[in-house]
Amino acid sequence: MSDHDVTRPKEIGRNIPPIAISETSTLVNPTGSWKYIMPRYEDRVAPCNAGCPVGIDIEGYMYLISQGRVKEAANLLVRENPMPAVTGRVCHHPCEHSCNRASLDEPVAIHSVERRLGDMILAAPPIPAPERTRRETVAVVGSGPAGLACAHFLARLGYGVTVFEAAPEAGGMLRLGIPEYRLPRAILDRQIERIAGAGIEIRTSTRIGVDIPWSDLDVFDAVFVAPGAHTGKDSRIAGAEGNEAVRPGLEFLKEVNAGARPDLGSRVIVVGGGNTAMDCARSALRLGADVTVLYRRTPREMPAIPLEVREARDEGVGFEFLAAPMAVVMEDGRFTGITCQRMELGEPDESGRRRPVPIEGDVFFAPADTVLTAIGEDCDLSFLPESVRTKWGLIEVDPVGESTSTPVFAGGDAVDMPRSVADALGAGKRAAIGIDHYLREKAGEAVGELPLGALRFGDGNVSAVRYLEDGDPIPREAPVNEVVTWDRMNPHHFHLAPRHEDHFHDATDLRAAFGETNFGLSEKEAIEEAERCLNCGVCNRCELCLIFCPDMAISRREDGGFEIDMRYCKGCGLCAAECPRGAVTMTREGI
Amino acid sequence: MKKVMIGNHAVSWGVLRSRVEVISAYPITPQTQIVEALSDMVADGSLPAQYIKVESEHSAMAACIGASIAGTRTFTATSAQGLALMHEMLHWAAGGRLPVVMADVNRAMAPGWTIWTDQNDSLSQRDTGWIQLYCETNQEVFDTTVQAFKLAEAVNLPVMLVLDAFFLSHTSEPVDVTEQEDVDRFLPRREATFKMDTSDPHAFGALVRPDAYTEMRWHQQEAMREARDVFREVEDEWEAITGRRYGAVEAYRADDADLLLVTSGTITSTARHVVDQRRAAGEKLGLVKVKMFRPFPTDELRGLLGGVNRVAVLDRNVSPGRGGIFAEEIRAALYDVPPDDRPILFGYVLGLGGRDVTPAVINDIIDNTRSKASPEREDLWVGVEL
Repeated sequence: MSDHDVTRPKEIGRNIPPIAISETSTLVNPTGSWKYIMPRYEDRVAPCNAGCPVGIDIEGYMYLISQGRVKEAANLLVRENPMPAVTGRVCHHPCEHSCNRASLDEPVAIHSVERRLGDMILAAPPIPAPERTRRETVAVVGSGPAGLACAHFLARLGYGVTVFEAAPEAGGMLRLGIPEYRLPRAILDRQIERIAGAGIEIRTSTRIGVDIPWSDLDVFDAVFVAPGAHTGKDSRIAGAEGNEAVRPGLEFLKEVNAGARPDLGSRVIVVGGGNTAMDCARSALRLGADVTVLYRRTPREMPAIPLEVREARDEGVGFEFLAAPMAVVMEDGRFTGITCQRMELGEPDESGRRRPVPIEGDVFFAPADTVLTAIGEDCDLSFLPESVRTKWGLIEVDPVGESTSTPVFAGGDAVDMPRSVADALGAGKRAAIGIDHYLREKAGEAVGELPLGALRFGDGNVSAVRYLEDGDPIPREAPVNEVVTWDRMNPHHFHLAPRHEDHFHDATDLRAAFGETNFGLSEKEAIEEAERCLNCGVCNRCELCLIFCPDMAISRREDGGFEIDMRYCKGCGLCAAECPRGAVTMTREGI
Repeated sequence: MKKVMIGNHAVSWGVLRSRVEVISAYPITPQTQIVEALSDMVADGSLPAQYIKVESEHSAMAACIGASIAGTRTFTATSAQGLALMHEMLHWAAGGRLPVVMADVNRAMAPGWTIWTDQNDSLSQRDTGWIQLYCETNQEVFDTTVQAFKLAEAVNLPVMLVLDAFFLSHTSEPVDVTEQEDVDRFLPRREATFKMDTSDPHAFGALVRPDAYTEMRWHQQEAMREARDVFREVEDEWEAITGRRYGAVEAYRADDADLLLVTSGTITSTARHVVDQRRAAGEKLGLVKVKMFRPFPTDELRGLLGGVNRVAVLDRNVSPGRGGIFAEEIRAALYDVPPDDRPILFGYVLGLGGRDVTPAVINDIIDNTRSKASPEREDLWVGVEL
């Protein structure tokens, strides 16, 4: 029999711990050997960015704002877009239409943030003019957004640039076509001053082919042509020709925008459904007229920016849909109005919109003192040499704006459809890069093929910061040119937050009021709005990967980014699954 | 600072004063107000803690376990089905020797669906290795919450503090909330005995072979044994600061009694009232309140009940197929009392699913206990009407 009492613990020095804890460190078990896929930090492209015709690094500046680096955000914005105070006001913001946040609650009000940053830049002292580093010079025909953008980027690339403008003041359609209540002239003037002040010469009242011949441009090493589209299309209203009561809307807008206040009578009909039509209607309203917009399709097919339509309606513009003008009606030699054809929608046409078809015999009379036609504009390209080929009234160009006649490049409304300020700015930037590449090649530099793909965000426009190797302030991890769609995002870590809507004027009394109608957001509101950005595709250091890694294989690097200890990462994929913004990818590569 | 508050908020205040660092919980009536108030305190910054929202009580306890392994002071609260859902994790907390503190608002188990009180939810977790402390008043709830952290962290065992649904959870009473600096003196920051250290990582809860498992359970049992003494010291310290103590077991007017009632929870207050009335009429009647159910206060109960003529145990719970659970435990504890000193024990099952236990009910029980030579059955059900 044992001398030991089995019911009492026997001290034999085993030191059994009170809890089940491994005796050795788990570091001896390199669980990394289990994995067959592994995570990689890969920053991607946000859809806003891919959707921007200017190629603005929206996710980049939103990230900087989220880090409290507002000034740097403004600088990044203006490095891609030379006129944010303008686009923040008048751009149709396709960025917001592609914003992933729309799938969560409402898109980020990117335009409001852009506008606020743009105004901050205008309030800050101008940056010094870029240094002239190239001996070549470039002529730019037209000082609209395309021309100014091209000139701006060429100057930054070191070229001498001269801009030729037919009108007495620079700005193109921004000045001639867009009413003051949408784009105050003080803002436009300061924005153009900024661009011109940075080493660009602008010669106003100089129409090529009239004031000076095209051949005068031969002294330049390249030419960028951006004359815009200024000729109103024929309204085909019977009896309108020579009748002063029926006028091209754009001509009316130019008059008003130059400060004139023409008398249109008390009843005005505006024909068309685009932005020019809305600008005409709201300007006429401000001159005291009762205004009706006549559009041959329905509200759904209107090409105008929806906000413009809403504002017009709020201000009291009437709409007559599914109606087309037919003929002028005169009584006793006096213009009394037009007859109109009632329409219905038929099969879709080549633009995908349903084609309006007349309803036989359904005609009505619309009384009016003035009819403004705004059914589109054509380009006057008569000043161009024949070697610059055109098609359907537009200049034919390659992806960087090069025409069929080297060294002529082109962009803006004379090239692009649809026509927008953003598209024009993008065309100007692209052409500047194209011209730089052409001139360098001509100068004998080994430039190779232009790496357009590497400069793009998604399939969108090109980044000047990338082309100029201008120092991306965003620490991007192995950037991949792939747009982050909503299904790549993990919405569980997001909180609902209402969108900050711009502040608007009181639309009840605006007779003769050409003051700005949209006041945008305050700086505080704009920063809050920027904080709604989900930073799609951009690691914003939220740390969720580190928190969720069950192997504690993720750690912070000194620069704020993360690194993964692949000896212990067992490839579970939680980091990629939890990443709210699609910035971590699981891959088989490197295993 | 005296405040009028419901029992649930007495828990919340206790947690606030204890400077809990991580709270993870899932709402369930009648507990929800506890964590609702805590989430407000976390949101407004008055309690600088992490509040982890989860999708179930199982996850709530799992989160508390993780946070506790990381060395933090952690808290959760639940009731009834929620506690049942936690069951597996309760073993992990206790076996992992983690000082998690949980408030369980006693709610009867469904079905039939009920939100009212009885003790079957907490007593069903008897063997998970948690210390269990039952409270009688909101003041006791506050005090016990703070004490629970001190006790848990001293012996590395989780503590469940228990309060009756509605009779305490939703009833307002004045509570003397001990000042923060006093609580800070009583309860310093947790110093974890076993803590996950990312610079020297170890596996927790790993496989244990038959040659060591028994030893780990022995350690756990020793800790439970130790908890009895530590609780006394905790109460000494708390009494020095606040002047209040409750005891693992409390004897009320028991000295010369020939009949002792044994109660827990809010039934105790009603029974005190009946004892006072019948004492006034000359009856030798007393009361023993059981606050600590695990570890079981065997010695104290033997000392108090041994030599008394009759004992009536009031159980607001039942182990179907056996009887009142406190009565069973007390019978077992009294087995070692010499036969001459062993009282006649009447076990009463009553108040299930929140049924009111009034002075009249308790009077009937006392009369029945005195009038019978011995109980006809082991489990006497009170007030059943079929």
